[in-house]
Amino acid sequence: MLNVYRYEQIDVGMSCDFQVEVTQDAKKMFAEISGDENPLHTDKNYATSNGFQDEVVYGMLTVSFFSRLVGMYLPGKYCILQKIETTFTNPVYVGDELTVSGTVSKKHDSVRRIVIDGVVSNQRGEKVCKAKISVGCLK
Amino acid sequence: MEKEKVYEKLNGIFRDVLDNETIHLTDETTARDIAEWDSVSHIDLVVTIEEEFGVSFSMQEVNELKNVGEMVQLLQQKIG
Repeated sequence: MLNVYRYEQIDVGMSCDFQVEVTQDAKKMFAEISGDENPLHTDKNYATSNGFQDEVVYGMLTVSFFSRLVGMYLPGKYCILQKIETTFTNPVYVGDELTVSGTVSKKHDSVRRIVIDGVVSNQRGEKVCKAKISVGCLK
Repeated sequence: MEKEKVYEKLNGIFRDVLDNETIHLTDETTARDIAEWDSVSHIDLVVTIEEEFGVSFSMQEVNELKNVGEMVQLLQQKIG
Protein backbone atom coordinates (compact mmCIF):
# COMPACT_ATOMS: atom_id res chain seq x y z
CA MET A 1 0.00 0.00 0.00
CA LEU A 2 1.25 3.44 -0.92
CA ASN A 3 1.93 5.77 2.02
CA VAL A 4 1.37 9.50 1.52
CA TYR A 5 3.50 11.12 4.21
CA ARG A 6 4.19 14.82 3.75
CA TYR A 7 7.54 16.26 4.84
CA GLU A 8 6.05 17.78 8.00
CA GLN A 9 4.64 14.40 9.01
CA ILE A 10 8.04 12.70 8.97
CA ASP A 11 10.01 12.61 12.23
CA VAL A 12 13.53 11.49 12.99
CA GLY A 13 13.30 7.93 14.30
CA MET A 14 10.33 6.90 12.14
CA SER A 15 10.91 3.51 10.58
CA CYS A 16 9.32 0.87 8.40
CA ASP A 17 10.20 -2.55 7.04
CA PHE A 18 8.94 -5.26 4.73
CA GLN A 19 9.90 -8.79 3.72
CA VAL A 20 10.67 -10.04 0.26
CA GLU A 21 11.87 -13.38 -1.15
CA VAL A 22 14.51 -13.29 -3.85
CA THR A 23 13.30 -15.53 -6.66
CA GLN A 24 15.01 -17.08 -9.65
CA ASP A 25 12.60 -15.13 -11.87
CA ALA A 26 13.63 -11.81 -10.32
CA LYS A 27 17.31 -12.66 -10.80
CA LYS A 28 16.67 -13.65 -14.42
CA MET A 29 14.69 -10.46 -15.11
CA PHE A 30 17.43 -8.33 -13.58
CA ALA A 31 19.98 -10.02 -15.86
CA GLU A 32 17.83 -9.16 -18.86
CA ILE A 33 17.24 -5.55 -17.76
CA SER A 34 20.85 -4.82 -16.81
CA GLY A 35 22.60 -6.97 -19.41
CA ASP A 36 24.97 -8.16 -16.67
CA GLU A 37 25.81 -11.79 -17.39
CA ASN A 38 28.93 -11.96 -15.26
CA PRO A 39 29.55 -15.64 -14.35
CA LEU A 40 29.43 -14.84 -10.64
CA HIS A 41 25.68 -14.39 -11.19
CA THR A 42 25.07 -16.96 -13.95
CA ASP A 43 27.53 -19.87 -13.54
CA LYS A 44 27.23 -21.96 -10.38
CA ASN A 45 30.59 -23.69 -10.93
CA TYR A 46 32.37 -20.37 -11.30
CA ALA A 47 30.62 -18.93 -8.20
CA THR A 48 31.35 -21.96 -6.00
CA SER A 49 34.96 -22.21 -7.17
CA ASN A 50 35.36 -18.63 -5.94
CA GLY A 51 34.11 -19.39 -2.46
CA PHE A 52 30.39 -18.69 -2.77
CA GLN A 53 27.73 -21.28 -2.03
CA ASP A 54 25.77 -20.62 -5.23
CA GLU A 55 25.31 -18.03 -7.97
CA VAL A 56 25.32 -14.65 -6.26
CA VAL A 57 22.26 -12.42 -6.62
CA TYR A 58 23.05 -9.02 -8.11
CA GLY A 59 23.85 -6.43 -5.45
CA MET A 60 21.95 -3.87 -7.46
CA LEU A 61 18.86 -6.11 -7.34
CA THR A 62 19.09 -6.06 -3.54
CA VAL A 63 19.53 -2.27 -3.61
CA SER A 64 16.45 -1.94 -5.81
CA PHE A 65 14.32 -2.83 -2.79
CA PHE A 66 15.33 0.52 -1.30
CA SER A 67 13.43 2.09 -4.18
CA ARG A 68 10.29 0.35 -2.90
CA LEU A 69 11.13 1.34 0.69
CA VAL A 70 11.18 5.06 -0.03
CA GLY A 71 8.85 5.21 -3.03
CA MET A 72 6.05 3.23 -1.40
CA TYR A 73 6.44 3.53 2.35
CA LEU A 74 8.79 6.19 3.74
CA PRO A 75 7.84 8.82 2.69
CA GLY A 76 5.87 7.12 -0.13
CA LYS A 77 3.95 9.06 -2.77
CA TYR A 78 5.77 12.38 -2.48
CA CYS A 79 9.26 10.85 -2.51
CA ILE A 80 11.92 11.96 -4.93
CA LEU A 81 15.06 9.85 -4.62
CA GLN A 82 18.24 11.94 -4.62
CA LYS A 83 21.12 9.77 -3.52
CA ILE A 84 22.00 6.29 -2.24
CA GLU A 85 25.39 5.44 -0.75
CA THR A 86 25.47 1.69 -0.28
CA THR A 87 27.75 -1.08 0.95
CA PHE A 88 27.35 -4.82 0.35
CA THR A 89 28.29 -6.80 3.42
CA ASN A 90 27.23 -10.40 2.63
CA PRO A 91 26.17 -12.33 -0.49
CA VAL A 92 22.50 -12.92 -1.33
CA TYR A 93 21.27 -16.14 -2.95
CA VAL A 94 18.03 -17.14 -4.70
CA GLY A 95 15.54 -18.26 -2.05
CA ASP A 96 16.79 -15.87 0.61
CA GLU A 97 14.07 -14.13 2.61
CA LEU A 98 15.15 -10.54 3.00
CA THR A 99 13.95 -7.94 5.47
CA VAL A 100 14.29 -4.42 4.11
CA SER A 101 14.15 -1.68 6.73
CA GLY A 102 14.69 2.04 6.96
CA THR A 103 14.88 4.56 9.78
CA VAL A 104 14.83 8.33 9.39
CA SER A 105 18.12 9.63 10.81
CA LYS A 106 18.05 13.30 9.71
CA LYS A 107 15.77 16.00 8.36
CA HIS A 108 17.00 19.12 6.58
CA ASP A 109 14.11 21.61 6.59
CA SER A 110 15.76 24.21 4.34
CA VAL A 111 15.87 21.79 1.41
CA ARG A 112 13.16 19.34 2.51
CA ARG A 113 15.59 16.43 2.51
CA ILE A 114 15.13 13.29 4.60
CA VAL A 115 18.05 10.96 5.27
CA ILE A 116 17.14 7.32 5.86
CA ASP A 117 19.46 4.63 7.18
CA GLY A 118 18.57 1.54 5.17
CA VAL A 119 19.43 -2.05 6.03
CA VAL A 120 18.72 -5.34 4.28
CA SER A 121 19.09 -8.53 6.35
CA ASN A 122 18.61 -12.17 5.39
CA GLN A 123 16.60 -14.91 7.14
CA ARG A 124 19.57 -15.64 9.43
CA GLY A 125 19.69 -12.05 10.60
CA GLU A 126 22.88 -11.30 8.68
CA LYS A 127 23.16 -7.81 7.26
CA VAL A 128 23.63 -8.13 3.49
CA CYS A 129 23.44 -4.48 2.51
CA LYS A 130 23.32 -1.10 4.19
CA ALA A 131 22.73 2.32 2.73
CA LYS A 132 22.45 6.02 3.45
CA ILE A 133 19.45 7.16 1.41
CA SER A 134 18.70 10.82 0.74
CA VAL A 135 15.23 11.67 -0.51
CA GLY A 136 13.33 14.85 -1.12
CA CYS A 137 9.65 15.40 -0.39
CA LEU A 138 7.56 16.99 -3.13
CA LYS A 139 4.90 18.05 -0.58
CA MET B 1 33.63 35.84 11.11
CA GLU B 2 35.52 37.91 8.54
CA LYS B 3 34.39 37.70 4.94
CA GLU B 4 37.73 36.24 3.85
CA LYS B 5 37.47 33.47 6.44
CA VAL B 6 33.93 32.65 5.33
CA TYR B 7 35.11 32.46 1.73
CA GLU B 8 38.05 30.23 2.67
CA LYS B 9 35.79 27.76 4.45
CA LEU B 10 33.06 27.95 1.79
CA ASN B 11 35.56 27.39 -1.00
CA GLY B 12 36.75 24.21 0.72
CA ILE B 13 33.17 22.97 1.09
CA PHE B 14 32.41 23.60 -2.59
CA ARG B 15 35.61 21.85 -3.70
CA ASP B 16 34.88 18.86 -1.48
CA VAL B 17 31.17 18.46 -2.24
CA LEU B 18 31.50 19.11 -5.97
CA ASP B 19 34.80 17.19 -6.22
CA ASN B 20 36.47 19.99 -8.18
CA GLU B 21 39.75 21.40 -6.85
CA THR B 22 39.77 24.27 -9.36
CA ILE B 23 36.76 26.07 -7.85
CA HIS B 24 37.45 29.65 -6.80
CA LEU B 25 34.33 31.38 -5.48
CA THR B 26 33.59 35.09 -5.90
CA ASP B 27 30.57 37.24 -4.99
CA GLU B 28 29.21 36.76 -8.51
CA THR B 29 29.61 32.97 -8.74
CA THR B 30 26.38 31.08 -9.55
CA ALA B 31 25.50 27.51 -10.50
CA ARG B 32 25.94 28.48 -14.15
CA ASP B 33 29.67 28.95 -13.56
CA ILE B 34 30.36 25.47 -12.14
CA ALA B 35 29.44 22.39 -14.21
CA GLU B 36 29.16 20.10 -11.17
CA TRP B 37 26.69 22.43 -9.39
CA ASP B 38 23.41 20.69 -10.32
CA SER B 39 20.09 20.48 -8.50
CA VAL B 40 21.03 17.57 -6.23
CA SER B 41 24.54 18.83 -5.49
CA HIS B 42 22.93 22.18 -4.62
CA ILE B 43 21.02 20.39 -1.85
CA ASP B 44 24.25 18.66 -0.76
CA LEU B 45 25.95 22.06 -0.62
CA VAL B 46 23.23 23.67 1.50
CA VAL B 47 23.17 20.74 3.93
CA THR B 48 26.97 20.68 4.24
CA ILE B 49 27.19 24.46 4.70
CA GLU B 50 24.59 24.27 7.48
CA GLU B 51 26.50 21.48 9.22
CA GLU B 52 29.98 22.97 8.79
CA PHE B 53 29.02 26.50 9.87
CA GLY B 54 26.59 25.29 12.56
CA VAL B 55 23.66 27.31 11.20
CA SER B 56 20.16 26.63 9.91
CA PHE B 57 18.53 28.25 6.92
CA SER B 58 14.84 28.54 6.11
CA MET B 59 13.53 27.41 2.74
CA GLN B 60 12.78 31.04 1.88
CA GLU B 61 16.33 32.14 2.67
CA VAL B 62 17.78 29.42 0.45
CA ASN B 63 15.34 30.08 -2.39
CA GLU B 64 16.08 33.82 -2.41
CA LEU B 65 19.85 33.45 -2.80
CA LYS B 66 21.02 34.73 -6.20
CA ASN B 67 24.75 34.12 -5.98
CA VAL B 68 27.58 33.11 -3.66
CA GLY B 69 27.97 36.69 -2.42
CA GLU B 70 24.45 36.60 -1.00
CA MET B 71 25.20 33.25 0.66
CA VAL B 72 28.28 34.76 2.29
CA GLN B 73 26.24 37.75 3.53
CA LEU B 74 23.60 35.42 4.95
CA LEU B 75 26.26 33.32 6.67
CA GLN B 76 27.84 36.43 8.22
CA GLN B 77 24.42 37.49 9.54
CA LYS B 78 23.87 34.02 11.05
CA ILE B 79 27.25 33.58 12.70
CA GLY B 80 27.90 37.21 13.56
